[in-house]
Amino acid sequence: MRSIGERSTDPALLVLTSLAEGPKHGYAITVDVEEIAGIRLGPGTLYGALSRLEDKGLIEALAAEDRRHPYRLTGAGSAALAEHLHTLERVARAGLDRLRIAAASA
Amino acid sequence: MNRRLARLALGLYPLAFRRRYGQEMCSLLDETPARAGTVLDLVRGALFAHVRPPAALSGYVAPADRLRASASGVLACWVVFAAAGFGFYKTTEGGVFAGVGHAHFLLRGSFLTVQGLAAAASLAVILGAAPSILAVLARARREPAVRRPVSVAILAVLGFAGLTGIISLLASPAAHARPTGVGGIAFIAWGLAGLACAEVCVIASRRALFAVPMSGERLIAAFAGGALVTAAMAAITVAVAIYAVALPVDVSHLAGTPNGPLQAISVSASLVIQVVVMAAAAALATATTLRGWRAAWALRPGA
Repeated sequence: MRSIGERSTDPALLVLTSLAEGPKHGYAITVDVEEIAGIRLGPGTLYGALSRLEDKGLIEALAAEDRRHPYRLTGAGSAALAEHLHTLERVARAGLDRLRIAAASA
Repeated sequence: MNRRLARLALGLYPLAFRRRYGQEMCSLLDETPARAGTVLDLVRGALFAHVRPPAALSGYVAPADRLRASASGVLACWVVFAAAGFGFYKTTEGGVFAGVGHAHFLLRGSFLTVQGLAAAASLAVILGAAPSILAVLARARREPAVRRPVSVAILAVLGFAGLTGIISLLASPAAHARPTGVGGIAFIAWGLAGLACAEVCVIASRRALFAVPMSGERLIAAFAGGALVTAAMAAITVAVAIYAVALPVDVSHLAGTPNGPLQAISVSASLVIQVVVMAAAAALATATTLRGWRAAWALRPGA
């Protein structure tokens, strides 16, 4: 499975999560990521992530609208995102459980 | 202002990246408020794009344009590198360094290596660029699109020459006593103006280079010159680094003496800054040269 990124705030992961909803162009991705994660991706960070994801075959560009290409997830992108999110979910659940146990025994 | 700077920062991206994503990034910049952070984000993104260019973008640039971009990229790096080299020259000039510092084997050897390689690299710049410059000048007579960048470069050089004349007059012995530090600030301003003038000339030459149809031989000559300059930059950086390490070991009292236009930092600190700038310029030049190899191979005579 191709890697996305190590952190839950990794721009590539945020972009893939945004595109899970459907195709979007750069500005729409920026607005969406700000809504879901509270992080404003700068243009350099956003297009750095888009170029890497496109290079790995995890997203693809659709026909240009005006000066902008919308992007969408590929099959490989959906699979990589799902696997990464499941890993994060397992880690988050284990972490929360341990915090709860520690709080109860304190 | 920030929007303008952000658009200028877009120019720092590799050519292939700009051809693929440039329009979209411009569109995004038009739609979002530009802040100082936006410019920094673009500069950082451009650096990453140079260091780790996406492989799929290589098809966006024709071999001839790849060589143009490579040659002009190396020239831009050389300008920054030469500024640091000028700093090295100023740091190590004077009888004290000639008499004491250069008497030590490593110091003398690295200093002479820097001098020899700098002369060879300058020659490589001239020989590599000459065929392209002649083609551009011949074309500039007929085409305004080519004449414009040539005029900009000439005006930048004339402006810098004028500024140099004014500063020389103000700094002449006949001038009245100046407050401490004014001479140093004037020197820094002159240096920055020189750097700006040189980079304007590089940008203008790049525009002219892209505006003029050119034979593969001329482009390969420019690329070969750039490759030699890149190799010289790497070797000079190593030599200056050796000098920077050897100086405090061999002549420790010289390493700690105040240095720079404002005498604010030591000789060793100056040398470290110069090595860092040189290494950064040499690394960028190496990256852009490596990207040009395949294009040079594709355009070789008889290919």
